[in-house]
Amino acid sequence: MTKTITIYTTTTCAYCEMVKRWLSSKGLSYKVVNMDEEPPEVRQRVIEMSGAMTVPVTIVEEVTEDGTEPTYRDITVGWNPAKLGAAIHDMVAV
Amino acid sequence: MASAKETHDLVIVGAGPSALAAAVYTTREDLDTVLFEKGVIGGLAAITDWVDNYPGFIKGIGGLELAQQLQGQAERFGADIRLGEVSSITDEGPLKRLETTEGTLWAKAVLVATGSDYKKMGIPGEQELYGRGVHYCATCDGAFYRDKKLVVVGGGNSAVQEALFLLRFATHIDMLVRSEVKASEILQHELDKRVREGKITVHLGVTPNEIVGETNATGLKKVTKVLATKDGHTVAYPTDGVFVFIGLLPNTGFLKTSAITLDEFGFVLTDKNLQTNMPGVFCSGDVRSGATMQIASAVGEGATAALKIREFLEMQERNHITPVSELV
Repeated sequence: MTKTITIYTTTTCAYCEMVKRWLSSKGLSYKVVNMDEEPPEVRQRVIEMSGAMTVPVTIVEEVTEDGTEPTYRDITVGWNPAKLGAAIHDMVAV
Repeated sequence: MASAKETHDLVIVGAGPSALAAAVYTTREDLDTVLFEKGVIGGLAAITDWVDNYPGFIKGIGGLELAQQLQGQAERFGADIRLGEVSSITDEGPLKRLETTEGTLWAKAVLVATGSDYKKMGIPGEQELYGRGVHYCATCDGAFYRDKKLVVVGGGNSAVQEALFLLRFATHIDMLVRSEVKASEILQHELDKRVREGKITVHLGVTPNEIVGETNATGLKKVTKVLATKDGHTVAYPTDGVFVFIGLLPNTGFLKTSAITLDEFGFVLTDKNLQTNMPGVFCSGDVRSGATMQIASAVGEGATAALKIREFLEMQERNHITPVSELV
């Protein structure tokens, strides 16, 4: 099992660009979900997962083989490199 | 991590428009330039919806796009932008020592261009409900308020501009203004139009006292109203969210224990060459005492500072500095 990273963004979110740049600088790939291009249900799901009405929301998770149940999930709200660093520490090549 | 001997021609603290403009100039002249940014590259410009008064763009330009253009231009010439924080600057004669999140490094010259940040109101509920109905970035979080009702606190250019932006999503906005609206004529004109359409209601002489939230059925605590004082009475403004734009504070917290002189409001004092009282440490943009808080001015000051830094370094060169790598 490997961890994946998903960043929930909006089109004009500058802090989201910081998260992308920071992850790229660590050599990590990530999926971007632009909520301006998604149905309202996606926004609602992100609010429920993060407990916040703000972006970026960055989710680092590991799922079971069948891809359904998360075995690990870390949610970072906003541009917070200290928290993100802890979430991805075992994903960064030494 | 930075090596103990890491030395640069110039370290710029910040990566907003002023910093990036300076970096364009210094890197084009082959000065080894490192920038440290702890927030957003592009600064407040990057989180501004639309910039209408920056020269050169007939129709204006998005704040994020302007920031990305400035960043790309500086990086094209070799600017090294690092996502990290500078915690102190110490004068060691010909070199300045900087403590950073990457360790200690030295610079022959330093430019402080840390800009400013939106003030907080400091009232009950504000911090607790941050991100759950209290916001300071309309371009980031406005989309969460599609078909909702909002409160915008403030009456300056930023408050009016961001309120107009938020109407892309919100059905109605109550603007709570402590004294009177002090926006540019074009923004005031646009605001008046929206007031006539019934999209925005401006409440003058209003001071917010508390932001109240309630826990909903899904267990999330969200903003429900703002309590404020108007004419000596407490008034409740029901809302789904609050966006706050009540002025700016200089990002000079890291200088409070340094030998660099600040004015009574915490902005950096400089001479006519944009140099601080610490030789070799310059300052430009919104964080400088006397700044006009305009992107165009910040960019102009960045260019001026770059030229003054070059003169300073040339003078230092003539005095034969010994690099710190040879001292350690």
